[in-house]
Amino acid sequence: MIRDWLIQKVLPRSLWVYHTNCGACNGCDIEVLDVLTPYYDAERFGIKVVGSPRHADALLVSGPMTRQTAPAVRRVYEAVPDPKVVFAIGSCATGGGMWHDTYNVLGGADQVLPVDFYVPGCPPRPEAILHGIATALGLTPKEVHALHAIQEADEVEIEELAEEQRLVHERE
Amino acid sequence: MTVETITERLGQRVGEALLDTRTHKETRLYLTVDPAAVVDAADELFNRMQARYVITAATDQRRDHGAYLITHFFSFDADDVYVAVHTRVPEGNPRIDAITPTVPGAGWAEREMRDVMGVEPVGHPDPRRLVLPDDWPEDLHPLRCDFSTADSPAPVTGMEMPMKDIPEGAVMVPVGPYFPTQHEPESFAVFVEGETVVGSDYRGFYNHRGIEKLGCSDLTYNQIPFVAERICGICGFVHSCAYCMAVEEAAGIEVPRRADYIRTVFLELERLHSHLLWTGVAAHIIGFDTLFMQTWRMREPVMWLCEKLTGNRKTYGMNIVGGVRRDIPDDAHDDIERVLADIEREWTALAEAVPGDRTLMARLRDVGYLSPEEARNVCALGPTARGSGKRIDVRIDHPYAAYDELELSAPVEEGGDTLARTLVRLAETPIAISIIRQALARMPDGPVRAEIDEDISPGLEGIAAVEAPRGESFHWVLTGENNRPARWRVRAPTYANLQAIDAMIKGDVLADVPIDIGSIDPCYSCTDRMTVIDRRSGQMRVMTREEMLGSRQTAEHTGT
Amino acid sequence: MTIASKLKEALLCMKAGRVTLPYPFEPHDPEEGFRGLPKVDVNKCIGCGGCANVCPARLIRVIDKDQSTRVLVFLYERCTFCGRCAEVCPEGAIEMTRDFELSTDDVHDDMIGEYHIFMGPCERCGRCYRPPTALDKLMKPGMREDTIDRKCPMLCPGRTEEKE
Repeated sequence: MIRDWLIQKVLPRSLWVYHTNCGACNGCDIEVLDVLTPYYDAERFGIKVVGSPRHADALLVSGPMTRQTAPAVRRVYEAVPDPKVVFAIGSCATGGGMWHDTYNVLGGADQVLPVDFYVPGCPPRPEAILHGIATALGLTPKEVHALHAIQEADEVEIEELAEEQRLVHERE
Repeated sequence: MTVETITERLGQRVGEALLDTRTHKETRLYLTVDPAAVVDAADELFNRMQARYVITAATDQRRDHGAYLITHFFSFDADDVYVAVHTRVPEGNPRIDAITPTVPGAGWAEREMRDVMGVEPVGHPDPRRLVLPDDWPEDLHPLRCDFSTADSPAPVTGMEMPMKDIPEGAVMVPVGPYFPTQHEPESFAVFVEGETVVGSDYRGFYNHRGIEKLGCSDLTYNQIPFVAERICGICGFVHSCAYCMAVEEAAGIEVPRRADYIRTVFLELERLHSHLLWTGVAAHIIGFDTLFMQTWRMREPVMWLCEKLTGNRKTYGMNIVGGVRRDIPDDAHDDIERVLADIEREWTALAEAVPGDRTLMARLRDVGYLSPEEARNVCALGPTARGSGKRIDVRIDHPYAAYDELELSAPVEEGGDTLARTLVRLAETPIAISIIRQALARMPDGPVRAEIDEDISPGLEGIAAVEAPRGESFHWVLTGENNRPARWRVRAPTYANLQAIDAMIKGDVLADVPIDIGSIDPCYSCTDRMTVIDRRSGQMRVMTREEMLGSRQTAEHTGT
Repeated sequence: MTIASKLKEALLCMKAGRVTLPYPFEPHDPEEGFRGLPKVDVNKCIGCGGCANVCPARLIRVIDKDQSTRVLVFLYERCTFCGRCAEVCPEGAIEMTRDFELSTDDVHDDMIGEYHIFMGPCERCGRCYRPPTALDKLMKPGMREDTIDRKCPMLCPGRTEEKE
C-alpha cells in the first residue's frame, strides 16, 4: 500500500532508471537509449538513466534470463534500494522470446526477479516504453487485455468466453 | 589463387590425406582431409598461402557416419574463395589436433568446439571453458544430437572458468558484468600497474541463448531467418540475409534479382543506422553527450523509414528463404531520398566540425593501438581491421546480393588507433548513402520471392558471408531432413574482434579502456562467445568468480 | 581550432531546433503495414494450424477440446510480431493490427488469445476434422507434433477424397 502510494505520488516527478541487459540482442537496449534522445526525450519527465543500481528507483530489464547472467541480475536487483519498480522490456524479458526453452535460457525476467510491469514488443517502440512507464506510474490506463472469441456452429457469432469455458495453460 | 591451385598446393602438402574435393562455382572449395593432416592443412592455408582464418564448426554426425565432423573455414579475400576443410573424428575417440598454435585466431573457436560438442582440441594452449555458463556440468555437450534443446541440467558448482593470474605488482580492476558504459553483460579483468594496463582477461558469453541449437534440426528453414534477425538487434538483417543466402546456395535456389537489390538497400540502411549509433555511443562513452544526442537525432528518421517500409523499426522481418517478403514500392523512393539527403547534409556538417575538436581528438588519437601484424594474427574484421591498414571488405572481396553491380569502395586508415577506426566508420557513411541511391536507381523489375516447389534435399552445404557494420558475418548451413537444417554455424564479426582487445589496451591508461573496447563496436549478443597476455608474471593463482565480484565492489568505492 | 569546431557543433544543434515529439500527449501511431499484435478473426479461421506450424517463437497451440471445437491459443507474451502467421493463413483470418501499447502488469493473463473454432464433425466417425482446402496449400513435412493435439486421425475410412 505505502509502496504503491510512493510509486504513484513521488516517483512520477523524477524516476531514476538503471538499465540492465540480461542476455538481450540489444534491440530493446537501443530503444531504451532512444527514449533519451531528442525525439522522445524522457528527461523532460524527470526520467534519468543512472550508472549505478544504488542510485536507481526503477530497473529496466531487457533480454531473456540466461543461466550465466541470472546471479548477476539478482545482485543488481538487490542493490536497488526500495521502493523500486521493475520493468521487463521486450518480448524476451516478458515471456522468454523465441528461445524461451533453450538449454541456456531460464525464461523471461520473472523467472528470476519479481516484475512489476511488462512492455512487450520486439523491440518495443520508444513510444511503447514511454507508455509502459506512464501506465506503471498510474498516469494512463492500461489498454491491453486478453482476447477471447468463440465461434458457434452455423451462425457466425462471436461471444466472449466465460471463465469456466477457458482452458488452463501451462507455460514451458 | 584459384580453387584449382589451392587444391593442388594442399595436395602437395598433405598427399594421401586429402580424401575428397568438391567445388561450387569458382568461389567455394570443400575439402575433406584425414584428421592427422589437419594442422598441416591449416598451416599451409594460413601461413604459407596467407589465407584468413574464419571459424571452426563441429557437427554431430554419429548417426550417419559414426563420427563428429569438424570443419575449419578459411577465406582468400583477394580471390573470392572460401575454403572449408572438413575432417571426421570417430565417435569413440573425439579428439583432434588443435590448430590454434599454428593459427592464433582459432583460439576461441576450438574452445567452443570442446564446450558444445565435446571434441577435445589436443595441444590447445588455453583449454578453458568459453561458452557454457559457470554452473554447467562437465561432459554435457549441448550441440550433440542426443541432447534435447529444452534440457537444462541442474546447476553445479566448481566449474567456473578460472581467471588468469594477476601479474606481480599489478592490481586487477574488474570491468563488468555490469558496467556503466557497457550495454551488455560481459566481464573483463584488467590488470593495471598504477593507471597503465599491463594485461587482461575476458569472460563473456553471458548472452549465450542456444541459437545454433535451435538451428540443429529444431526449427524449419523459414522459421530461422526470424531467429537469425534477433541474434543482434543492431545488425540483425545481416544475419538473416547471410542465413538465407547460405540456404539458397546449398539448395540451388535462384533468388530474383529485385530481391537482391532490396536486400542491398536494407543492408546499407542498417549500416547507416549502425554507424550513427556507434558514433553516438562512442561519444557517450567518452562523456561527449551532445554528440550522442545529435547523432541519434540524425539517425531517427532512418528508423521511421524502415518502420514504414518493413513494418518494424528494427528486426525488419523482410528475409525469407528465396527472397524478401515485401517489395519497396516506387512511391517510397522519394521518402528514402529525403531521409538520405538530410543525413548527408548533417553528416557533412558533423564531419567538418569534429576533426578540429582538440578535446575529442585527444581522447581518440594514439589510444588503443592495434598493429597490422596483430590484426592479422587475431583475424580482425571490418573497421577494426581497416583502421589498421588491412583492406578487407566482404562486399568487395566476396560480392553478394547486388554488390557486384554497384560501385563502392572500402576506406582504409593506417593509424591503427581509435581515431583511425572512427574515421573509417565516418567515411563509410556517405558511401552507404551512395550505394542506396545506386541500388534504387538500378533496381530491376520482377518478383521479389522465388517459388520453391520442391523439398530441400538433406546433406547439402552452403556458405554465405555478409559485411556487417562490424565486419564479416559468416554463416554455414548443412541441410537436413524434415524441412530443417542439420547444422547452422554463425560467426559474428565481434567474435574475432574481441580477441584484438587485449593487444589494444596494453599500455593505455585505465580510463581509455572503455573507449578502446567501444572502438571495435562490440556486439556481445552477436558473439556470445578478452584474451590474456601477461608477460611479466610466471606465477599462477586461480581467482574465483566470488573473489572477482567481491573486488569489484572495492574498485567501485575507489572511484574507478 | 577548438573554439571554431565547438561553434560548428553548436550550430549543428541549433539548426535542428526543438524536435521532441508531443507523445504521449498526442498520439504517434505507426503507419499502415506496421506489425503489431496479431488478432484472429474466428469467423474466417478454419483451424488448419498453419500458423502454429510457422511461428518462430512456437507460441501458437492447437488443442482439440471436444468433437466440434478446436481451440487456438496464442501466447502473445513471447510474440515477436514477425507476421508469419498472418502471411501463411489461407483464409486471411489473422490481421497484424497496429496495436503497440501493450504494457501491462499481468502479462500472463492479459497477453493471451484464446480462440474456439467450430469444426464440423465427420459424418461417419463423429470426430472433428480439418477442412481439406488449407492443408494442400500449406502441407510441409516436419510439422511439430507438440503443437498439434491430433485427436482426429487424418482420414477416416469413409472419406477418401480430399478436394482443393
